[in-house]
Amino acid sequence: MRMSYADTTQRLGLWAASFRKRGFGTPLASVISILVYGGLAYCIWLAVDWAILSAVWSAKDVARCGDTSGACWSVIDARHRLILFGLYPYEEHWRSTLACVAIIATVILSCFPAAWSAWRLAVLWVVGFATYYLLMEGSLLGLRQVTTDGWGGLALTLFLFSAVVLLGMPMGLGLALMRRSEMPVVRLFAMVLIDFIRSLPLLTTLFTAAVVLPILLPSWLEGDKIWRVIVAFALFFACYQAEVFRGAFQAIPKGQFEAGKALGLGYWSIMFRLILPQVFRHALPSTINMVVVTFKETAIVIIIGFFDVLASAKAAFGTGEWSPHYLEVYIFVAAIYWVFIFSLGQYGEYLKGRMAIAER
Amino acid sequence: MLHVNTYVPIYRTNKEGIMKSLIAIGATVAALTTLSATTASAQSATVTQIMERGTMLCSGHNGSYFGFVEVNDKNEWKGLDIDLCRALTTAILGDPEKAQIVPLSWAQRFPALQSGDVDVIIKATGWTMGRDTELGLQFSLPYFFGGTQIMAHGDLGITDATGLEGGTVCVEAGTTIERIVANYLQTIGVTTNNISYESAAELRSAYLANRCDAFAAWGPFLAVLRATEIDNPDAHVILNDQLSSEPIAAAMRQGDDGFVDMVNWTIASLLIAEEEGITSANVDEMVANPPNPRVARLLGVEPGMGERLGIRDTWAREMIAAVGNFGEIYDRNLGEGSPYKLERGLNNLWSHGGVLYAPILD
Repeated sequence: MRMSYADTTQRLGLWAASFRKRGFGTPLASVISILVYGGLAYCIWLAVDWAILSAVWSAKDVARCGDTSGACWSVIDARHRLILFGLYPYEEHWRSTLACVAIIATVILSCFPAAWSAWRLAVLWVVGFATYYLLMEGSLLGLRQVTTDGWGGLALTLFLFSAVVLLGMPMGLGLALMRRSEMPVVRLFAMVLIDFIRSLPLLTTLFTAAVVLPILLPSWLEGDKIWRVIVAFALFFACYQAEVFRGAFQAIPKGQFEAGKALGLGYWSIMFRLILPQVFRHALPSTINMVVVTFKETAIVIIIGFFDVLASAKAAFGTGEWSPHYLEVYIFVAAIYWVFIFSLGQYGEYLKGRMAIAER
Repeated sequence: MLHVNTYVPIYRTNKEGIMKSLIAIGATVAALTTLSATTASAQSATVTQIMERGTMLCSGHNGSYFGFVEVNDKNEWKGLDIDLCRALTTAILGDPEKAQIVPLSWAQRFPALQSGDVDVIIKATGWTMGRDTELGLQFSLPYFFGGTQIMAHGDLGITDATGLEGGTVCVEAGTTIERIVANYLQTIGVTTNNISYESAAELRSAYLANRCDAFAAWGPFLAVLRATEIDNPDAHVILNDQLSSEPIAAAMRQGDDGFVDMVNWTIASLLIAEEEGITSANVDEMVANPPNPRVARLLGVEPGMGERLGIRDTWAREMIAAVGNFGEIYDRNLGEGSPYKLERGLNNLWSHGGVLYAPILD
């Protein structure tokens, strides 16, 4: 439904009338309104002046940064490649760029309802991840090999995030099903595992995976640090996600299981055709929440020496030339986070609206 | 404003206590494995391993640590510690490009060393008794001394702490610096009014607002602050007094004496090269025409330098050609060639009033 022009003007008129009535109804209200809106406008003006009008934009003009009262975006101009790609070799940045595009494209494509079948999603993600890995690692494509030590910046953050969610989501579902199982051993195992992992801080889990495991495990089982960390992070994610799913399971009346059984359906048919579609719907708001939190939590890998987007941002202003301009770097990183998290949130809203159709 | 809180003092880390037990496990495992690997050959197990691998694994940082570990505009590591790693890599493998810098956090560095993620820690790490004994580490010759120093407003016209008589010195509350400053000023008989501030940021703005005449903190940190934060660096002077001094050294796993020799003689050779005036620019001339037997021995013109360590005789020559002598490394990263312009001070050769010295090359 598109709003007509007349509708829009009418709405604006109503809004203005209510604004006038609430803000300027009495003399006192008028004074307070003028003070508050004036103050607000002044703050916005200061921010705009700092960020845009008085700002220095180019790395070549860095000498002017000392004279201006505005932001010194030169630091972003000079160091954005460090922030986005970390320690990845400078000449190979096109590979990092393409890899980022591949991951983002995979995420966007899998958001469309057309992609929502198990095998389509599987193919999409296997292709997306393979593209990322082949480009970043390079040796299989005959490019210069870059080991995971050299990965970094936004490229690494995106990879960690999508790998963790991708591995963690089915693991979480599996744990939730095990937790509801009628076999006591399976149920007990899931219960102990979930409670154990949830009682540990994420930092400890990751530190153990990154630093302690190589001391304890034989070297052939060690694997790459990045994979150990991803698996540990995914397990952590899965244990929380399992509880989200459990709540959703409990929202479904027991009668539905019994009805399924009465119709002669097997366990898997009941699950996949009857229960899980409703579980996903119930779990959606909390799941979006989990995903957003996980995106932000990836920054914790800085403590085990990964050069994620936040770590490389710190490196970006951590030299004598750029250290006065840390604020600009932090704002840049905050903007990156905001774009991703805001999009995730908006997509969640869209999904909620779409799934609500089933309720009507 | 500088992120004073993220500027972790080199001589302590937060998680150290918790990790001791973890590291003890690691140390036992590592000791067991190296025990079997120790042989009578001149070459150490670690050196052999590095040669087989073809790369040297050094410690980097998860971010930047002014002057010591930084990342440049081309996404490459640089800094004093990185250059020392490249020197060591050139000594062992003949090519500075074979240094692989593994990013590590402060908390992670010792477990990473024990688990073999890195071969050596060169990361502004202070030599303490706890690390030497309980953590099972082995330290090299110190290559840097950083200690508490005092920065004062330039218009006071003073160069050392005796000029602070009757003045005001600001320090961060609850740190060892507070005690060190009080001790030192009492010893030299200078009476000052000392004010403590809760946070380093508060301290810094108090100093800049002229609420104190001087400001005491870790020396390199003051130098960085002076060079990068304050609009007119010449308006501030770092006093000559060295109130305390912490030796910074490379850390290795205990139990491989040959590797310790290797790291020690890498540092020693860089110092001898500076003493003898050998630079990356003139090393070839020196090789062609060594001015004295010591230089001839160092640069491998006369044999013996490599054999004792189980590597090539020309290693020191290649190393100096690749990264320069210690003075060049210092100037490039902390001294005149860097934004920090940090005086050599204690970190000069003994013959120039510093405390750095090399063992005897015989």
